[in-house]
Amino acid sequence: MKDFMMIFIGEDYGALGLSQEELQQRMGKWFAWNQKMLDAGIVKDGHALHANAKKIVGPDRVVSDGPFVESKEIIGGYYIVSAESVEDVYEIAQDYPDYDLGGAVEIREIVVFQQ
Amino acid sequence: MKDGQIIDHLFRHQYGKMVSILTRIFGLSNLEIIEDAVQDTFVNASLKWRTKLPENPEAWLTKAAKNRVVDLLRKIKADQNRITHFNNGPSSLLLNDLFLDHEIEDSQLRMIFIACHPTLNPKDQIGFALKTIAGFSTREISSALLLKEETIKKSLIRARKAIKENDLSFEFPEKQYIPQRIERVLEVLYLIFNEGFHSGKKEMLIRKELCGEAIRLCKMILKKEMFRTSSGYALFALMCFHSARLESKVNDQNEIVDLKNQDRSKWYQPLINLGNDAMIKSTSENKINTYHFEAAIAAEHLKAKSFEETNWEKILHLYQSLSELRKIPINQLNIAIVLIQLKNYPEAYIQLMEINPKKLEQRAYLYHASMAEYYKVTKDKKKAIEAIDKALELVKNEAEKNYLTKKKANIISGEPV
Repeated sequence: MKDFMMIFIGEDYGALGLSQEELQQRMGKWFAWNQKMLDAGIVKDGHALHANAKKIVGPDRVVSDGPFVESKEIIGGYYIVSAESVEDVYEIAQDYPDYDLGGAVEIREIVVFQQ
Repeated sequence: MKDGQIIDHLFRHQYGKMVSILTRIFGLSNLEIIEDAVQDTFVNASLKWRTKLPENPEAWLTKAAKNRVVDLLRKIKADQNRITHFNNGPSSLLLNDLFLDHEIEDSQLRMIFIACHPTLNPKDQIGFALKTIAGFSTREISSALLLKEETIKKSLIRARKAIKENDLSFEFPEKQYIPQRIERVLEVLYLIFNEGFHSGKKEMLIRKELCGEAIRLCKMILKKEMFRTSSGYALFALMCFHSARLESKVNDQNEIVDLKNQDRSKWYQPLINLGNDAMIKSTSENKINTYHFEAAIAAEHLKAKSFEETNWEKILHLYQSLSELRKIPINQLNIAIVLIQLKNYPEAYIQLMEINPKKLEQRAYLYHASMAEYYKVTKDKKKAIEAIDKALELVKNEAEKNYLTKKKANIISGEPV
């Protein structure tokens, strides 16, 4: 088994102007997906991220306020899951709820350092 | 709550509650800031609850709203006096009290009266009520009222502006004004309900929600003794009776099913019972208004076990009484339709001739469809086709158009509908 990170990229719910009803429905879908992964015992960790960001850059450690990318490319959260292969993660990522909002899932394998 | 299901519309209803409570604390002049802040709370909740729902979501949201109050207190510097008032000593107890159930309802009722305040343009009242009390988004309001989103946005801005310019306070009307103010409130609820009940163009989901909201708000008003009126009960009865057969008005293919062909076993009995109960209460005062007659007509239809068993005589009588109270073309048109059912064609014709279809505005097609029905039953096929063509020309909504197209085919083939 390998570990993969699924990174969710898309527009912030607040910026999309979703209604209460839509927010509740979205949340239900995320909840169901999370539950499905928990039941399958594949999810190791995962969090949603706030949209506001800070960045520290360069030798002078200059701090600047985000956002740093286009509003449609904000990283909204991540999951770390265990799977045999990246193809298996494609399968898992089918249930990501926000494709219809223009969201995307980036899959990255986590590097394991040899002892 | 394993499946991640929380109460239907919890967010939406909670939105209305929070906006009302916070408005009570910060005043109507801060309404816009309050709405934005509440919206943020929900965006946050939808992220936080992705993996685990809180034990009691409602309590969580209430707490978040309270925290939001503190945030707002910091942000709204202009209202310093008010802030100290709520921050110190015994008043902080008062703040907590506002989050008790009955106080929440009290706040929401205040908001209903604001939405229906005479200084607001009547056209803006419905949208404002749906947004602020019912928690609809502008997009949802636009599909509910079949208006452009831009129009709704402007309407909301106008409503907020009217509130600010007239410096409305978040209080109930003074006692002597309550009767007239409550009438307008009921009228707005009636309009919201009709938006849900009568439009075949909207999706069933949004129609149910509009009807549901109107019923919920009407119930809230009836709960409070000082706002309880016989017309309120009659309106509530009317809404229950109509809602009982909302679902049978459309079939699985999203086609309109007329009263004659509705599956009467699908009519929802618990709502009919609720309506009957309200109907009894509505007669406790000796005042009768249009809601009473409309409810009685709806009840009469529900009573009939089949379309053929409908007591048209009684319905005619009720429509006539209704028309005396409110002489509008649609009531007269209904009288004509009932007369056709009673096979009193000459009288039906007289009624129809008296109506100016233009005054029916977007419902003018109903007039021509009724004319077509008249000519059909009096066996004047040529004129019946002419009339139905006119109706088809005027009708905008797809489902109604399909219904009329079928009707035209029936006229041509000479078969009963």
